[in-house]
Amino acid sequence: MSEEAARHILSSFEAALDNLRKDVLMMSSLVSRSIENSRKGLLDRDEDFCNTVIADDEEIDLLEIQVDNQGIEIMLRFHPFASDLRNVIGAMKTSVNLERAADQAVGIARRARKLITLQALPETAHTEPLLRHTSSMFNDAVKAYADGDIELAKTIKSRDKELDQLNREFAESLTEKMPQNPDSIRGFLELIFIARCLERIGDQAKNIAEDTIFAVSLKDIRHTAGNSNI
Amino acid sequence: MPTLVENTGQSKVSAIHELGRADFISVRDFNFFYGKKQSLFDINMDIPEKQVTAFIGPSGCGKSTLLRNFNRMNELIEGVHHSGEIQLVGKSIFDRNVEVIALRRTIGMVFQKSNPFPKSIYENVVYALRISGQTKKSLLDDCVERSLRGAALWDEVKDRLHESALGLSGGQMQRLCIARAIANRPKVLLMDEPCSALDPIATVKVEELIRELKQEFTIIIVTHNMQQATRCSDRTAFFYLGKLVEYDNTHKIFSNPSEKKTEDYITGRFG
Repeated sequence: MSEEAARHILSSFEAALDNLRKDVLMMSSLVSRSIENSRKGLLDRDEDFCNTVIADDEEIDLLEIQVDNQGIEIMLRFHPFASDLRNVIGAMKTSVNLERAADQAVGIARRARKLITLQALPETAHTEPLLRHTSSMFNDAVKAYADGDIELAKTIKSRDKELDQLNREFAESLTEKMPQNPDSIRGFLELIFIARCLERIGDQAKNIAEDTIFAVSLKDIRHTAGNSNI
Repeated sequence: MPTLVENTGQSKVSAIHELGRADFISVRDFNFFYGKKQSLFDINMDIPEKQVTAFIGPSGCGKSTLLRNFNRMNELIEGVHHSGEIQLVGKSIFDRNVEVIALRRTIGMVFQKSNPFPKSIYENVVYALRISGQTKKSLLDDCVERSLRGAALWDEVKDRLHESALGLSGGQMQRLCIARAIANRPKVLLMDEPCSALDPIATVKVEELIRELKQEFTIIIVTHNMQQATRCSDRTAFFYLGKLVEYDNTHKIFSNPSEKKTEDYITGRFG
């Protein structure tokens, strides 16, 4: 992280930027918790955790709207430049990605609830590597954003590719099992969709990392093969 | 010849049409003194032709002092002296054989407070031509129409050219001063906070005029209004305590400046 910047002379501007940042960090905590709760709901077959994820989504949605409104207000009132402008835009973009990640956690929770009504499948435990990988990626992406840590952000892109690979392998393994386990097909399909949700959370984490790199350094690495030349 | 210039590290986001010399005005190792007090320190910069260059910085940083050196207006102040060089199209403006009055025809100036002469609109525009001896009415008439059109004022005043210029609004007066400045067909227009005394509508009209004028003139504008600098200029120079801290494309300066001082100033952390 670069040396800490002096505070703005205009205290209202400083306060507005602080509040914007706090709301995004609050959002990220809630989303992180939702991902964790969806994991517990799935692996422990616990409907309460699933219901919590679904209920918490409303607060995350409201925070997204609040962050957008705050960002627009800051640009309207204070005409930010340089790092301030990048941080405001970064916050607004990050909140969109956080909200989408939360939606995916809701998707996992809903499908986990369905799985609870079915006979327990041993293959459910096979989602654990994907869950761990996704959770780790997401939390690191958020940490990179909070700390302005470009080096940490740079690691997310390659980890997303690993998650994509894990998702493909998981889906293939279940698809291969379907002919021999016709009674489990419905459950397998729910698990495949859950893995897809995790893969999408990984994409949101990647977006957050890319936006962090842009906010800190003005380097745009979207749609590039890797993280070179940063 | 149009060229694409990378504004950011990896993507080409805009094209800047370079229409002339990159060093149309060249400043080299320039130091300036008001008596014993030094107000400019080792200034080195090249100002490109037919672009708008903005000078920004806190009060007292030297931006207006440097601006007034380009047409040697500072020599009207007793006790000033300098070292270093300023060149216009490769020729020193301080050469002994440079006639200062002729230089100031080549480098026009518009000031913060509009200063029309207590004469008619017509006579304001043709003043420089008259004192140089021009009397041919057709030429004077052409000059008036060309200059007032160039200053986006013709339609508003064409039916009252012989009325007093003092009856114009503030924004119109400033555009009249711009018309007067361009009547001589200068190569450069210096503008020292041209909009600071104007209302928002008059300001945007002058800014729009600046955008049009840069097709024909090299423009340097001193401004305290950073939003104006971002709207109007192609390049921006940030000055602090008499030194040139950073000078680059306006997009770079206001999106990702290289110097912390620049970042602190434009984000309102000091000034």
